[in-house]
Amino acid sequence: MGLRDILSGRKKLKDPARERLFAISTARITLQTELDLKPSGSAGVCFKPLSAGEFVRAENELQQLLDAVANESGSKVERKSDEMGFEWLVVHDQDFEDLVATSHLIAQELEDRGFGGQLLAAVFPFEGKFKEGRAYWIYGFKQGSFWPFVPTGKGQERDNPEEMELKAKLDPELPIEQDLTRWFGLFGAPV
Amino acid sequence: MKRKAYGRDAGLSLRMLLTSVLLGLLYVFFALVLFYIFNAGLVLMLVIVIGMALFQYFTSDKLALRASGAKIVTPEEAPKLHEMIERLAAMADLQKPRVAIVDTPVPNAFATGRNQKHAVVAVTSGLWERLDEKEIEGVLAHELTHIANRDVLVMTVASFFAMLAAFLTRIGLYSGMFGGWGGNRDNNNSVPVWLIITLVSVVTYFLSWILIRTISRYREYAADRGSALITGAPEYLMSALQKISSQMTLIPQQDLREVEGMNAFFIIPASVKKATSELFMDHPPLEKRLAALEKIAREMGRPVS
Repeated sequence: MGLRDILSGRKKLKDPARERLFAISTARITLQTELDLKPSGSAGVCFKPLSAGEFVRAENELQQLLDAVANESGSKVERKSDEMGFEWLVVHDQDFEDLVATSHLIAQELEDRGFGGQLLAAVFPFEGKFKEGRAYWIYGFKQGSFWPFVPTGKGQERDNPEEMELKAKLDPELPIEQDLTRWFGLFGAPV
Repeated sequence: MKRKAYGRDAGLSLRMLLTSVLLGLLYVFFALVLFYIFNAGLVLMLVIVIGMALFQYFTSDKLALRASGAKIVTPEEAPKLHEMIERLAAMADLQKPRVAIVDTPVPNAFATGRNQKHAVVAVTSGLWERLDEKEIEGVLAHELTHIANRDVLVMTVASFFAMLAAFLTRIGLYSGMFGGWGGNRDNNNSVPVWLIITLVSVVTYFLSWILIRTISRYREYAADRGSALITGAPEYLMSALQKISSQMTLIPQQDLREVEGMNAFFIIPASVKKATSELFMDHPPLEKRLAALEKIAREMGRPVS
């Protein structure tokens, strides 16, 4: 946020920081051995869709993107949307490294098509001891860092102690967002 | 300034205008009296100006919330609104601001706070009820852009220099005139000199006031553009602006009068009739904002239906 941005107002959205997404690949081992958390076999990339006026072009672009991803990886990808009006590309793959690689590929393809600023987050669900059954690691494309998200299943309630424990366990290994106010949740994520 | 067509809204706008001008005059007059009586120097003057600016800057969020009667709401009280703001803030790479609701049927929204940490986004209950989700997103993104662009800081700095300019002009005259007469306050000439000083201060203040309004209008365009960027869909903000402004003219005067004081902060001022020329408005006219948004939409490579 430079002086020019203040004086004339922002003229573009921040480009996504994709590269640190790969850090979750190795963190998975710690999650499994120390916390008994297993990847659920799916992941999601969440982005803000373009306006209705742009619908046809965006549709074509997305279809091309899905085809490109299908060619390059063995993962299955499907499109979903959530109740907040955000679009999701949900990846299914039993191999966690492929899951991460495909998620990264989707982000890269979106950016190549000029929609990089529209990228919000990537989400990796894990299954384990949690009440609602799942804990999520969210990767914020703007921040280029991860944070845990553990919904309790009761409305929009989050299990903060559990989230802090996850942070403590993974802190050196995973680039974790240190500013807790930026740990936005993604309730009702269709992954 | 047009003086014809004294419709209800025109009268309101005029009163508003006069109130703002009078408030400014009061400031200048206050300072004049202070300096004349106490014969205060440049240092004290600077301290006072800086003090006023700092007070305005550090209390902006509290003052705006109190003036509008906005209440901070928790995620439990307004889950959907919180979630929307949270995601849009993330898109804009901002910390999530506090969220407030003003209980009035007039659809509107405002943002305040000197930085991301102290930022508040407030919407009226009328906005929440009358606009659809995409339109609300457009409005919220507009307000978040005000925060991202540090508009409270910009306007404080702008007003600071206006105040300082007014005071410095006065000091210049003061030393020029009084210096020549040896600064004798009991001199018979002191009354006309007083008048000149006052007139100069008034003119300076008036001009800087117009400039500040111009800056304010420019910040509105910038916030509209930011909203288009964040949502990727300027047409929703366009329809939101149209809805807000058309509904605001429909609502009885009584309600408008109650929210008048908050105009500088709102996304659309409560009186939108063009009783005053654009030069005196802190928001650009609706048609111009819509035209600017259409241009952005075209630049984004998409037609606006």
